[in-house]
Amino acid sequence: MAMIDEPLYPIAVLIDELKNEDIQLRLNSIRKLSTIARALGEERTRKELIPFLSENNDDDDEVLLAMAEELGVFIPYVGGVEYGNVLLPPLETLCIVEETCVRDKAVESLCRVGAQMREQDLVEFFIPMLKRLAAGEWFTARVSSCGLFHIAYPSAPEALKTELRTIYGQLCQDDMPMVRRSAATNLGKFAATIEAPHLKVDIMPMFNDLTQDDQDSVRLLAVEGCAALGKLLEPQDCVAHILPVIVSFSQDKSWRVRYMVANQLYELCEAVGPEPTRSDLVPAYVRLLRDNEAEVRIAAAGKVTKFCRILNSELAIQNILPCVKELSTDSSQHVRSALASVIMGMAPILGKDATIEQLLPIFLSLLKDEFPDVRLNIISKLDQVNQVIGIDLLSQSLLPAIVELAEDRHWRVRLAIIEYIPLLASQLGVGFFDDKLGALCMQWLKDKVYSIRDAAANNVKRLAEEFGPEWALQHIVPQVLDMINNPHYLYRMTILQAISLLAPVMGAEITCSNLLPVVINASKDRVPNIKFNVAKVLQSLIPIVDQSVVEKTIRPCLVELSEDPDVDVRFFATQALQSSDQLTMMSS
Amino acid sequence: MIKQFLSKLPRKSQKSDSFDSDGFDSGNRTSNSGNGVQCTNIGNSITSRLSVVKRVSSAVFPANIMAGVEAVEPNLSFKDVSNPQKQSLFISKLNLCCEVSDFSEPDKATSEKDIRRQTLIELVDFVSSGSAKFNEPAVAALCKMCAINLFRVFPPRYRSNTSSGEAEDDEPMFDPAWSNLQLVYDLLLRFIDYNSLDAKVAKKHVDHSFILRLLDLFESDDPRERDCLKTILHRIYGKFMVHRPFVRKAVSNIIYRFVLETERHNGIAELLEIFGSIISGFAIPLKEEHKTFLWRALIPLHKPKSVGVYHQQLTYCVVQFIDKDQKLANSVIKGLLKYWPITNSQKELMFISELEEILEMTNMVEFQKIMVPVFRRIACCLNSSHYQVAERAHLLWNNEHILNLVTHNRHVIFPLIFPSLEWNSRNHWNQAVLNLTHNIRKMFSEMDEELLLACQRKLEEENSQSIEAAEKRKLAWERLETTAAAFKPPATNVIPPVQPAAPQVAC
Repeated sequence: MAMIDEPLYPIAVLIDELKNEDIQLRLNSIRKLSTIARALGEERTRKELIPFLSENNDDDDEVLLAMAEELGVFIPYVGGVEYGNVLLPPLETLCIVEETCVRDKAVESLCRVGAQMREQDLVEFFIPMLKRLAAGEWFTARVSSCGLFHIAYPSAPEALKTELRTIYGQLCQDDMPMVRRSAATNLGKFAATIEAPHLKVDIMPMFNDLTQDDQDSVRLLAVEGCAALGKLLEPQDCVAHILPVIVSFSQDKSWRVRYMVANQLYELCEAVGPEPTRSDLVPAYVRLLRDNEAEVRIAAAGKVTKFCRILNSELAIQNILPCVKELSTDSSQHVRSALASVIMGMAPILGKDATIEQLLPIFLSLLKDEFPDVRLNIISKLDQVNQVIGIDLLSQSLLPAIVELAEDRHWRVRLAIIEYIPLLASQLGVGFFDDKLGALCMQWLKDKVYSIRDAAANNVKRLAEEFGPEWALQHIVPQVLDMINNPHYLYRMTILQAISLLAPVMGAEITCSNLLPVVINASKDRVPNIKFNVAKVLQSLIPIVDQSVVEKTIRPCLVELSEDPDVDVRFFATQALQSSDQLTMMSS
Repeated sequence: MIKQFLSKLPRKSQKSDSFDSDGFDSGNRTSNSGNGVQCTNIGNSITSRLSVVKRVSSAVFPANIMAGVEAVEPNLSFKDVSNPQKQSLFISKLNLCCEVSDFSEPDKATSEKDIRRQTLIELVDFVSSGSAKFNEPAVAALCKMCAINLFRVFPPRYRSNTSSGEAEDDEPMFDPAWSNLQLVYDLLLRFIDYNSLDAKVAKKHVDHSFILRLLDLFESDDPRERDCLKTILHRIYGKFMVHRPFVRKAVSNIIYRFVLETERHNGIAELLEIFGSIISGFAIPLKEEHKTFLWRALIPLHKPKSVGVYHQQLTYCVVQFIDKDQKLANSVIKGLLKYWPITNSQKELMFISELEEILEMTNMVEFQKIMVPVFRRIACCLNSSHYQVAERAHLLWNNEHILNLVTHNRHVIFPLIFPSLEWNSRNHWNQAVLNLTHNIRKMFSEMDEELLLACQRKLEEENSQSIEAAEKRKLAWERLETTAAAFKPPATNVIPPVQPAAPQVAC
């Protein structure tokens, strides 16, 4: 402890650590950068620590990534926003490194710092840095610069604004496709900060250039900007400039481009208004729904509800519904699956009559699909259709579908349907449930796969919550407790778990009269695993039941278990006893 | 096997001998991967089929009416028209092949497909007979036909439609249109290789955009297609001197995108194979541009996890560079150390092999600049719990050149390696590794007993010190924490982040 009296040099500690061969140590010390800064104080952080970091940029990418992240939240340690600019130099160098994730993080941190800086500092420090990056010799600097314009632009004086727009225009035509991709990605963000007149004059030509790029990958990103840009423009400008582009993209020869269009076409509908939607976007969308490439149909099918929500129901019934009908028998299971996951949402849009007449047959055919995912997706959204037509019309076809899924050979499918049982129960009502589904729920408790048994136990609890303790006492508890005599200990364990989950829902009385005796009885089991699980269950029952029951029934049982020959049983019994002691102490 | 394929074509001397002659040899050396086999088959099957088809085609299209010179009926056979007409027949046939049929449905329009196929075979035959004249219209027609047939968008490659979903992931996809594509590629290759082809005329159509789209095709899932592309791109690079800088730049861009953005590309191995021969043709001293390619493209190519697919070709390229300029070894090794895999043992094995290959080419002066970090890394490899990695690292001492370098610098290297050997002999689980460790130790003690003892003493000292150092580090940080706790950031100074101002709507 002799060194306590030695003077402390925080920077020296850091430098020492950063020289270590062990990357884990270097990483740790960078992660604690704020500690060093606080120990140094604001002024020395600015004058010593930050310059040191600016030079120390030759480390492993992992260390640089951590540094880029830390610096993003460093403003308080350098003395607040008026000193924010000192953080720019180290982040600037990190914007130029090779590794993509380091650069991305540095840009993110620069945005964070820049968003807090004072306007005059942005002009004096941030914008010059941005210009240096945009003119960087190596393309990584230019790639990074694209993500910073939207921070700098609003604060710039008029002349500088013009210059920034010009620079961005150059980046959109950069020699390197990497830079053009970055410019395309960030165009929407930048455009959102630009005044309307410049938007049309300066930004639209950039957008047009990017949409005609000879590299597929650049055009693809330009499509992504369509919707964002469209929302910024006045509807008539959007119709004049964006609409033709998106319509031609929807027929691009690259399926990736069409896929992108399919994904965001609905967003444009709002931007262009109803008439162009009807005349141009609906036909384009219909084409995408019938695309040759399954990937495109998947994307289009997944947006069918969102798209229809924007249209009036007449238009949807006339144009979209026929396609939906085709898609429900598509050759690709993924298309059908995507459709099934959203189609229920169309019911409220189409109204009751159209739903019964047109949509219901589609639901039913999807419910009989050979591919379990499709059926599951329909079942998962049952509540939406219930609101419109009531479940009666569906229930007849529903049951076979559920039974089949409940017995599917893939346990993940069984798991998925169990998750929906409480939803189904609430939609279908007690009567239907008692008749048809009760037996299934019990059957799952005896599944071969642990995850299913686990989910089944949880399901029993959720049913008890849904229908109330009295119902549960009649329809669930006896059957569950019956299974405690199963010859296989793993199944007995599932029942113990179900009991511990049910107890809080059932309340003290039923727990004491029905559940507890079964647990106590199980403490005589020959398998130690059962016995220590009894101890765990008893521990969970203690807070639920009356103190007298604890003293009379639970503690004696635990005491006996705490003297068991098996070490694990003793351990959990002792643990339960201790927690019971604590509870007694707290209540007394 | 490229040689077999090409030997069937008329060979001609290239303008740049340095590039071509050893270029192709070197290309061969690196290409013994699996997909090469198919290329041989292609070569053979094409020729065998050609002779058959010749007979068939003359039977199917007997000489009948002589059409006008300008618009020649494309279904005529070449031998049924007069020599002056052959040229326009050539163009008509090319135009006929511009219509692309849908090959995803094999039963549809079979007769059309057959006609087009036979026409292509005739075209290939005509060009290889040497009687074609590539004037501008012919070049334009040929390039157009190739563009229409070849430049296509590949289908998505995941999500098979079978219910199993899994498996068949590594199975390469075979394009159903291949029988057609193969002929088009063959024709393109023969065209570019054509003896009397005037590059000045051809470059107007084999332009930047053509090359760019050709390069896009390297994404193909079909190894046969990539193999054809490889040969063709190599030939274009050889024939069109003006395009060389552009090809290099475009390929660099593909590599940048692969390394920095997507990590997905099927054709990196093929592109590197071409570059292997391009690099071996570089003049000495190397231009700065080429060195940049090494630093910015080739070295970062070590990072993606799929490096195994193209590692052999990559190593070849790197070795070519070092062969030209020994001083580059240093920066290559630094790059290897930077991207050294931490959890992927398969990759680590490749890195050790590459390191050995490079060290073998490194002279004493360059070695001394880099030896400390290298042997620090090797020390870690010696201790690897993956026995193959550990074994491979031990085997470096079997290399005479490396052993010689180590022996000369033992005062630096022994202390770096010794702790690892000690640790291994006490803790390593694998018997083979233990034996190897024992051998190296023995070798060291025979080399310099005294130094070894000194290392041992130092190690013991360090062991006792390391606990102390850790304690000291902990203390220092604790003190920092207490000092830091006194500091409260001036919360009042922190203003919430400013939202970018909404664009003002101008009237």
